[in-house]
Amino acid sequence: MIAAAARESRVVGALGRRALTLQFRRAQLLMPTFVLPLFLLAVIASGTSAGRDLRDFPEVSSYLGFVVAGTLLQGALLAGLTAGIAMASDIEGGFFDRLLAAPVRRTSLVLGRLAGTLGLAVLQMAWFLTVALIFGASYPGGVLGAVGAAILAALTAVGIGGLAIAIAIRTGSMNLMQSIFPFVFVLLFTAPAFFPRDLLTPTLHDIAAYNPLTYVVEGARGLLQDDASLGDPWLGLAAAVGLAAFATGLAVLALRDRARRT
Amino acid sequence: MASRSSSSHPAVAVRGLERAFKGGIKAVDGLDLEVPEGEIYGFLGPNGAGKTTTVRILVTLLRPTGGEARVAGHDVVSDADAVRRNIGVALQEAAIDPLMSGVELLRMQGALHGMRGSEARGRATELLERVGLTDAGGRRVGQYSGGMRRRLDLAMALVHRPKVLFLDEPTTGLDPTSRNALWREVRGLNDDGTTVFLTTQYLEEAEQLADRVGIIAGGSLVAEGTPAELKSRVGEPTLHVDLAEGADVPAARRALSTVGPLVDCADDARVAIRAARGKATVPDAIRALDDAGIAVESVEVVSPTLDDVFAAVTGSTLEGAGGGAADGETAGVGA
Ligand SMILES: Nc1ncnc2c1ncn2[C@@H]1O[C@H](COP(=O)(O)OP(=O)(O)OP(=O)(O)O)[C@@H](O)[C@H]1O
Ligand SMILES: [Mg+2]
Repeated sequence: MIAAAARESRVVGALGRRALTLQFRRAQLLMPTFVLPLFLLAVIASGTSAGRDLRDFPEVSSYLGFVVAGTLLQGALLAGLTAGIAMASDIEGGFFDRLLAAPVRRTSLVLGRLAGTLGLAVLQMAWFLTVALIFGASYPGGVLGAVGAAILAALTAVGIGGLAIAIAIRTGSMNLMQSIFPFVFVLLFTAPAFFPRDLLTPTLHDIAAYNPLTYVVEGARGLLQDDASLGDPWLGLAAAVGLAAFATGLAVLALRDRARRT
Repeated sequence: MASRSSSSHPAVAVRGLERAFKGGIKAVDGLDLEVPEGEIYGFLGPNGAGKTTTVRILVTLLRPTGGEARVAGHDVVSDADAVRRNIGVALQEAAIDPLMSGVELLRMQGALHGMRGSEARGRATELLERVGLTDAGGRRVGQYSGGMRRRLDLAMALVHRPKVLFLDEPTTGLDPTSRNALWREVRGLNDDGTTVFLTTQYLEEAEQLADRVGIIAGGSLVAEGTPAELKSRVGEPTLHVDLAEGADVPAARRALSTVGPLVDCADDARVAIRAARGKATVPDAIRALDDAGIAVESVEVVSPTLDDVFAAVTGSTLEGAGGGAADGETAGVGA
């Protein structure tokens, strides 16, 4: 029993390591995950910092410190999406068959891929928070707040990764995965990623309440700014964990289904 | 636990196997075969015959739509995990990550088979040496030649010392040197007790390697036997002589008939004989023609090809094989 668990954890570890290694060897995956969110952050921070002067904009120590939570969320979305793209590429290229022909639990194949996503997301979040710090963001929540925010975002990456993997497993198509890209921004902008929820248009405001990412980004903001009025970290954790668990389940189901269909 | 008694059953046992794809194509259609432990079985067939589909079913990547298959004593559907523990697989398109190194891939494969880091490292080093990739092991696979990839793929299939090894067209696209090296490796593995199930389109490969050969066409077996048995159905190689312009054809026929029995030839300037000894017949033929004072343009020895075996067992050519499967079965039994 314990031996079997140790064995599967080695499998998950090896697959996670491979996923992460490839992530860094493929420039076309590195750009969107590490650079793109910072571009958006720069644009938003320079163009809309006037937003801070709006009535109702909450008192925060730095605008950059406020919007970086949105960057964490965007990074998580893109990390999750690349997990799906990498999975589709494995399926199209036949590498996934190698994994399927090995005596490992199908769940481990999903968890291995998501372990890579988790590792990637942790590195991303550390990178984003550091870059923002260098450019003047302040984190009243301190190191603990930053770590907490990074964990929320990394768990979200796992959740989005699970959804993306489930789609990749069901379709096995790289093209389809890449065409989902714009959809990521829909998720991002229907959550109060860069503005407080109260400043969103009424429609968006209502939609945001149903977007689990809303609670993640608000929770992360609450942690970074050490201000519970900006967001409840526990609610954020519940949303992130819930999404991750749900999405992982979907991906495992997709894999079981695929095995039955082929 | 059932695997304790595994030495008493065949390495591969297939009964009435069927696989239909969407659109109604029956890629495998009532396949029966049995491979005893320790054998090299050559699964020979033209493009689209159903070789890969059969292999994918045997290695648990595809479900049969009918019949059953057992590998190393385990059912490929109900006991897939036990099958996976006992097999090594090198698929037709060696899917190896171009951005990973040989060592990295071997270590990952080791982990997939439950090895610890140190064990997997040791095994990787051992296997790289075995397939002659020690120097290239640290390089990314994207820089490997086709032959190197094939060898790495084979090494990956061997990580856990499988009982049964499946190789789907392992030498397609390789040059003669690489092909020979791979053949040697396969023989060596078989000497160590590994059962090998190998698909190929090359009659020569089947002849060189296989203890027994099964010929598949249109999804079912049309002939089976040792290479010698199959060849005897086709007949021997023939030696063709193209005569120089204005040569005395009847005289040439007389001269050559002393070397081997004459074979009918469509071309008037050509004479052909059976050449049981293959290329070794050439000097005799030249000498006989020379003695008779006949000028020769060129000489060639034509060995029976898969096409000829096909024609012999199915009465149809390879191109027509898909549609001729039904005749094939009767011809195969009758031959
Ligand atoms: N996934 C699939 N969906 C539909 N048809 C398929 C599928 N896979 C294979 N086929 C069909 O099944 C038949 C047998 O294919 P298979 O790949 O098994 O042949 P093969 O003997 O391996 O040929 P080759 O020598 O070209 O590799 C072909 O007609 C092929 O088009
Ligand atoms: Mg094939």
